Amino acid sequence: METLVDVDAVSRSFPLDHREVLALDYASLRVERGEFLAIAGPSGSGKSTLLNLIGCIDMPTSGRVVLDGRDTQTLKTERLAALRREKIGFVFQTFNLIPVFTAAENVEFPLLIQGVDAHERRMRVLAALESVGLASRAHHRPDLLSGGERQRVAVARAIVHRPELVLADEPTANLDTQNATQLIDLMHDLNRSLGLTFIFSTHDQRLLEHTPRIVRLCDGRVVEDAQAAEADRAQVAAAIH
Amino acid sequence: MGKFLLLAFRNVFRNRRRTSMTLVMVGGGVAGLLLVGGFFAYMLRGLRESTIHNGLGHLQIFNAEHFRRDEVHVLDTGIGNWQQVAAKTRSADHVRGVAPRVEFYGMLSNGVKSAVFMGSAVDPDIERSMGFSPYLSAGRDLGGNANGEVEALIGTGVARSMSVKVGDGLTILAVTADGALNGIDVQIVGIVNTGYKEVDDRYLRITLPSAQRLLQTDRVTNLVVGLDATENTDRAAAELGPRLGGFSQELTLKKWIELATYYKQVRTMFDGIFLFLGVIVFFMVLMASINTILITMFERVREIGTMLAMGTPRRWVVALFMAEAGLTGVLGAVAGLAAGNVLGALLNASGLHLPPPPGTTFDMNFRVLHEPGLMIASSLLVIVSLAIASIWPAIRASRLQIVEALAHV
Repeated sequence: METLVDVDAVSRSFPLDHREVLALDYASLRVERGEFLAIAGPSGSGKSTLLNLIGCIDMPTSGRVVLDGRDTQTLKTERLAALRREKIGFVFQTFNLIPVFTAAENVEFPLLIQGVDAHERRMRVLAALESVGLASRAHHRPDLLSGGERQRVAVARAIVHRPELVLADEPTANLDTQNATQLIDLMHDLNRSLGLTFIFSTHDQRLLEHTPRIVRLCDGRVVEDAQAAEADRAQVAAAIH
Repeated sequence: MGKFLLLAFRNVFRNRRRTSMTLVMVGGGVAGLLLVGGFFAYMLRGLRESTIHNGLGHLQIFNAEHFRRDEVHVLDTGIGNWQQVAAKTRSADHVRGVAPRVEFYGMLSNGVKSAVFMGSAVDPDIERSMGFSPYLSAGRDLGGNANGEVEALIGTGVARSMSVKVGDGLTILAVTADGALNGIDVQIVGIVNTGYKEVDDRYLRITLPSAQRLLQTDRVTNLVVGLDATENTDRAAAELGPRLGGFSQELTLKKWIELATYYKQVRTMFDGIFLFLGVIVFFMVLMASINTILITMFERVREIGTMLAMGTPRRWVVALFMAEAGLTGVLGAVAGLAAGNVLGALLNASGLHLPPPPGTTFDMNFRVLHEPGLMIASSLLVIVSLAIASIWPAIRASRLQIVEALAHV
């Protein structure tokens, strides 16, 4: 297996009322290419901070994050933007779709900023929407879609440019059980069929039950990195399908 | 690029009420500039044409000495062989006619009262053919007398101060080309109202032969050239200039704008007023737009954060906000052009009149000209104002911290 993400002794603190709050405390994590990994923990444990650092939208106070062989701290703003554009797909808790764009246009956006030509964009948008089962809703704006559909559009947007890594921050937090289960199944299917690496933060037990590897955080520290045994993995796979 | 502009276009209409208010403000600015500028253009065009048709003409030909020194004797810097010059001038393109003129001054007397005059002598048939007829408040123009009397037109101010009317006689006294004093009796055939009190108080017009007899010379002061349209002045001047080189006297050609001092002063004043209005509209649009665009930016912080997280280059965010502002400017300009032109047409149809401007005696029509140059300039002004207004909010948006922007509520 090849290492895609290497979080090495990372700390991140924030100033708050004239003092420093430590959100991540010397956390380390290594993620192989093609993994399906959950970062779990209670609110305030540092899940989102860790995802932000892996997603190159925040920088550690100390330690380093290496993504696809590149130390993110050595990259300038524009190079970091290019890295995110090419290597990472994001799924947000509140979907964060552009409200004036249709579902298809939202999915098209990452290709647009990569400069992919119009014909190629059309093909890939259609394929991405089909893969999340929303081809028929392509021309609907987000306000005409249900919460589950919006999050599936967000997933299509995250995978359309074929990134190495998809980061999802609490992707099921705003979904009901049925939609949450469908989303988990979808993400897992994409992980298996496309070989995409998924890292998501959650404290949703439904999602954790379907996850082969769970990294638990507490007070900014990695307290457990549970890799399911081979037999458990089979159980997980059976549970998913 | 197309999708990017589509995003900008849709964002413009995201909050329709706010966009409508912005369009009203921007469109109002454009419409206001069109109405004021169109009215100024009408006044200036009216002043230009009245200046030209009150006798200035489009071009004037002088002896070059006329501008180099003062005359020692009457008309010693005049044009001697003016008939040949006039014939050569008449054959040029756009020339409707060439009118010889003698400018002179002296005293008027009716035996009881005397007054100083500033006189001009003309060929009335040529003047009429060129559309240079004076505005008569009483009587008729020169040239209709068959009984051999010397005819004269006088200004309303002269008639009032000397208590004379059409049909009365006057004696004109002037210094001849030899320096002697000469006089002729004239009959008043018309009273002229030029619209300018200072002119009307000294106005006298007689026929060219009468003046040449009075002044004892066959020279003329200048030749006034009338064209088919004022817009052809530069073209005609360029053609006529070289033609004036083959005469024994050195001749010089002056365009009407070089001689119309009052017109230039008025125009400078109007340009200043209009510039001031333009600056006010610019700052009005700028300040109001900065506020609106900042509000728009704060409403979209999370969306911008999302775009930046996905790797959108920061310059794209700047360009997006500027494109939105530019589109708003274009739409506002279109709305303003429509409103300004419709309002202008309605005002023109209403037949409004304004009181006489200072120094004139005529009521003035209220009309708004639809000037393409003014429309383009007003539109560009608001588009540029909005584009400038968007720079600061756009840069702020592009520099948002992604994590903070994503957490924005």
